[in-house]
Amino acid sequence: MNTSIDQLLHARQGDMTRELVQQPGDLGNLPARLTPTSTTHSICGFCSTGCSLEIHLDASGQAINLTPNKDYPVNLGMACPKGWEALTPLAAPDRVTSPLLRNPATGKLEPVDWATALRAFVDNFKGIQSRHGRAALSFLSTGQIVAEEMALLGALAKFGMGMLHVDSNTRQCMATAQVAYKQSFGFDAPPFTYADFEESDTLVFVGANPCIAHPIMWQRVKRNRHNPRIIVVDPRRTETAMQATLHLAPYPKSDITLLYGLARELIRRDKIDHAFVTEHTRDFAAFAAFVETFTPGRVTRETGITAEAQQQLADLVASGKRVSFWWTMGVNQSHQSTRTAQALINLALMTGNIGRPGTGANSITGQCNAMGSRLFGNASSLLGGYEFSNAAHRKHVASILGIDPAVIPNDKSIAYDQILDAVDHGEIRGLWIIATNTAHSWINQHSFHEVRKKLDFLVVQDMYATTETAQMADLVLPAAGWGEKEGIFINSERRLGVARKVSRAPGTALSDFAIFQLIAQAWGCGEMFARWSSPAAAFGIMRELSRGQPCDFTGIRDYNHIADSGGIQWPFTERDALLMKNVECRMKNDKTSEPSDHSSFSIHPSPLDASASQRRLFADGRFYTPDARAIFLFAEPVALPEPTDTDYPLLLLTGRASSAQWHTGTRTDKSAVLRKLASRAHGLEINPADAERLGITSGSKVTISSRRGEATAIAFVTSIVSPGQIYMGMHSPEVNRLTFPSFDPHSRQPGYKACAVKISPA
Amino acid sequence: MSTEAPSAPSSPPAATGSLASFLDEILAEQQRLHTPVVRASAAHDHSKITDPESKIKNRESKIFSDLIPLTAPGPGEQYAFEVDLDACSGCKACVSACHSLNGLDDTEAWRDVGLVHGGTTAAPYQQTITTACHHCTDPGCLNGCPVVAYEKDPVTGIVRHLDDQCIGCSYCILKCPYDVPKFSERLGIVRKCDMCQQRLAVGEAPACAQACPTHAISIIKVSTTTPNADFLAAAPDPTYTRPTTRYLSNRERPANTTAADANTLYVQPAHAPLAVMLTLTQLAVGLLATAPLIPNTPPFLSLPLSLSVIRSLVTYYVTNYSAHLTQFTGLALLFAGLGASVLHLGQPTRAWRFFLGLRTSWLSREILVFSAFAPLALATLLWPDSALLHTVVALTGFIGVACSAMIYIDTHRRFWAPLFTSVRFLGTAAIAALLPIHPPAAIAALLLKLGVEIYQALGPGTSARIQRGPLRSLLVFRLLLAASSVAALLAHQTVAAFALFAAGEIAERVLFFKAVDAPKMPGHPVSP
Repeated sequence: MNTSIDQLLHARQGDMTRELVQQPGDLGNLPARLTPTSTTHSICGFCSTGCSLEIHLDASGQAINLTPNKDYPVNLGMACPKGWEALTPLAAPDRVTSPLLRNPATGKLEPVDWATALRAFVDNFKGIQSRHGRAALSFLSTGQIVAEEMALLGALAKFGMGMLHVDSNTRQCMATAQVAYKQSFGFDAPPFTYADFEESDTLVFVGANPCIAHPIMWQRVKRNRHNPRIIVVDPRRTETAMQATLHLAPYPKSDITLLYGLARELIRRDKIDHAFVTEHTRDFAAFAAFVETFTPGRVTRETGITAEAQQQLADLVASGKRVSFWWTMGVNQSHQSTRTAQALINLALMTGNIGRPGTGANSITGQCNAMGSRLFGNASSLLGGYEFSNAAHRKHVASILGIDPAVIPNDKSIAYDQILDAVDHGEIRGLWIIATNTAHSWINQHSFHEVRKKLDFLVVQDMYATTETAQMADLVLPAAGWGEKEGIFINSERRLGVARKVSRAPGTALSDFAIFQLIAQAWGCGEMFARWSSPAAAFGIMRELSRGQPCDFTGIRDYNHIADSGGIQWPFTERDALLMKNVECRMKNDKTSEPSDHSSFSIHPSPLDASASQRRLFADGRFYTPDARAIFLFAEPVALPEPTDTDYPLLLLTGRASSAQWHTGTRTDKSAVLRKLASRAHGLEINPADAERLGITSGSKVTISSRRGEATAIAFVTSIVSPGQIYMGMHSPEVNRLTFPSFDPHSRQPGYKACAVKISPA
Repeated sequence: MSTEAPSAPSSPPAATGSLASFLDEILAEQQRLHTPVVRASAAHDHSKITDPESKIKNRESKIFSDLIPLTAPGPGEQYAFEVDLDACSGCKACVSACHSLNGLDDTEAWRDVGLVHGGTTAAPYQQTITTACHHCTDPGCLNGCPVVAYEKDPVTGIVRHLDDQCIGCSYCILKCPYDVPKFSERLGIVRKCDMCQQRLAVGEAPACAQACPTHAISIIKVSTTTPNADFLAAAPDPTYTRPTTRYLSNRERPANTTAADANTLYVQPAHAPLAVMLTLTQLAVGLLATAPLIPNTPPFLSLPLSLSVIRSLVTYYVTNYSAHLTQFTGLALLFAGLGASVLHLGQPTRAWRFFLGLRTSWLSREILVFSAFAPLALATLLWPDSALLHTVVALTGFIGVACSAMIYIDTHRRFWAPLFTSVRFLGTAAIAALLPIHPPAAIAALLLKLGVEIYQALGPGTSARIQRGPLRSLLVFRLLLAASSVAALLAHQTVAAFALFAAGEIAERVLFFKAVDAPKMPGHPVSP
């Protein structure tokens, strides 16, 4: 009676209370109404960290929720907000559910069936090729799809459809790292493993803000038990800079000069690993002579970093026993990016900080499968990291694919910017854009909008028809997204991980893999790709392509082998697999204390500890160049392509502004939680000194103009950004109206991060 | 868009038949998911752990029990969030995890992350601030709730919201200086953080704590008597509700540190039903208080009625036209206002429990007083000549208005400070009282009230800037209505003057809600 009166007066139970009741289980307490029937593991499809997510499934195998995988060596039970919200974009109401074809009469995109869409694709693209030649077709792809899809697309486009020039949005983020490694090490091989974050005593971050851009990598830094010194080189006082022992804010794009100055100082102090340099590198003497002119005085003049701060930097690097150098887009996106990345590589080489735990010149990658794209995109290198220009390579790849070597072009593709130039010049007339949002993300955005008018036919393949680029398309192909298909991603530390199919695609949307299969059929080259019958079959082909390459992963049996191993870092050869089996047997034998035949099993030692979950390259000091030596590469710094002047007195920096938003926001903006968390992304940071002079206060709307266009943003007056500079998130749909199209000569990566602008109250 | 129109699909490709069947096959395959039975058993095999000790260890590491205290709080203690600001990198995973692990609605999360910044160009400073419910020692939400839909756990100190008790009055939102309770349109109630008490009960860390990649959030035990004086710079004054969250940092914090959104003007909800309810009840209280004092006017109508009681009543009312028009208007406004107050509630059927909060909640007291006032006011129809009754009605009415004012005064918001709220609320009632009986006094009172309102729209304060900024046209409209009312009074158009005055007061009350300087934890630089 008392309890019922109490319940009447104080309703502690009821439907609304029940909504939030939790159910205990193996995964800890979970909302009772979202109790999973089973779970599976899938690698996140946003950034290159490669976190494993435990996907909660209902009885039909459909994903209903997720938690970060607690047993995965990458993320150790953590995820960033994007990872937590990975399933939300799949359920967005604006998913495109059938192909859309632009009706010439109405000018509108209208739903059609797949047969019609495929006919339109084939007829228009074949028509273009018959009128303008095979090279008049091109595709721009992505680092966001699984590697099997990249490989099939690259093979289909070049070997089946006869395209010559293709590229992907990895050009916008990773091309520099790829070229820098290839030139210095002989292969595109980031040497590190994430454990290096924990093993270093000195970490140098240049142009990287992992707190925001790679929070789960920062987690690894915070797990470092060696009380590490953290050096951050960034023009802004970023979240990461706030956590640094030493923050240096050089004038934008002058980091190369600072790094050369550091090299000079280390040489002066003789903090050089002479044995390593002599045995394992080439051209150090020339480099030492070159940096001689980078005196502290010159460095101060060109970077704004005082001689004292330069000394502090040299002290920290010189006294470190395990120094690691890390870079991201601040280095990669520049007019002299390749040499800047190599300035970091040179520092690691000359100090012998490579191949040992906690060391390395380490590029933190951008997209979830940028590394897959670098190996299997078939754009600048032939499938599996081979050279188009090498006849033996072409023959080898052709034999694995079972195709005529003659269909393989004997030169690599031109780059993204050159493809768009070719469109502008009327040489490329048909463009196929897959899972990227060029109309938003391309540098000097307006140029793409102009170029698009010159295309005879534009096909966009995406999850949403609402992206800026899809809105311009003649044909939209509805794609299944991450979570609706299977395949592998390769993360920053060369770890292969499996993305699983845990959700049904809406309407007749299809996986990119299935779309490529259909197009192969419709194009009439289905036979050529008969052995690419499924992602798993494609994976088998790719594994074969990797054989004997530095990225050899022939020891991997199948997807489950990867998943069960907590991901597998390349190289993982058949010999490594055997060795691992041997180790396992030995461990079992040690436990049972029984003698075994396997104990006498003899095998050549692998350069890597095959059984370890963390494996780094170059422990033996042997690089992938013909003479196994790493090369010191360097060049005189080049001035900013668009310096400030009296008309455009401020320098616009761009970059990631929130951990909750991904690139152009086509997926992350579908989550209400992420939208809320990303609110900082559309603002503009300006130093109080500049703001006061211009009459701008926090919260006021400002107009930013460059020689190329105009944008608006809400001002945030803060000392985080230096005087004379302003900062905008790259997620803003307007920011690339302003950016200046400069490109690194080696990597053709656009220099998004510095252009001259002026601002005024809006 | 293109120089050449795309050619229409022409003849089907050669292998149409096979393409069609291939397409069917591929579309079917796309919809096929792996059978969960196979998956579950596979997953089980993979996580096989034979060693029982490591199994326990594994379970412990999975629920992050090292982030919570080993024992329950003792007397004089309670649980609290501890945030290591030096470890917080601003990734905001805590917010996402709160959303996902608690199964909240699309836009809902009980934790948020803001930013403070400061310093100089030579030494800039920024720091993200993760914030959830502070499970205050003296919770404003709990004290204000009219139906005691909040409980403070006697052992853990967790401030828990009873979702099935909540009437959706949103008063807790006004009472909480940290903007913690959030109204759910779907449910018509508020919901808030309960420190994941269901998880704590089984030795598991709250969602936000277990999701933090750098373990910046943990649960600790704190003394309930020691003041949390240096709670957090740029956060609202902790002495009002005594928040328990401990923010730790060894970094030097520059003196000029402010919230990134310190300059942002947040226009608050209008709470239209409340604005209407407050204005109408106050007008009614005023009219009903002085209606008996209005002098008799000659009869203009007589009706032959047989029933003596009705005849006498009717005779009474028609012979005292002005007074009765005033009285009836007052009653009509009163019931319209009380009706409007119901529209404000998300769950009105639960509101009968209002008396539970009388001990601490001014909202309970207001409901009680107006519940008495309404029948008393009606009773004057039956006993029109009872001076005692009229006095009681007038007194009760003004007590009700005072209770209304106390509701807002008790939120400790600057714009709603005692003087300002009293002048606005009692002013509305007083002017309504004076208007029918002494127009010059009414004009004087109205001008005085306007003076206070204009004073509140001047200066650099947040509310003043909101009124002069985004609410400028509403402010002008309000002043124009008041001026017109004065003009009508000067022209002896009492009825028109009252109507204009009433409209002006509603506009004033909307400003009162929309321009309030709602305190909150530091937010984002750019409001969403």
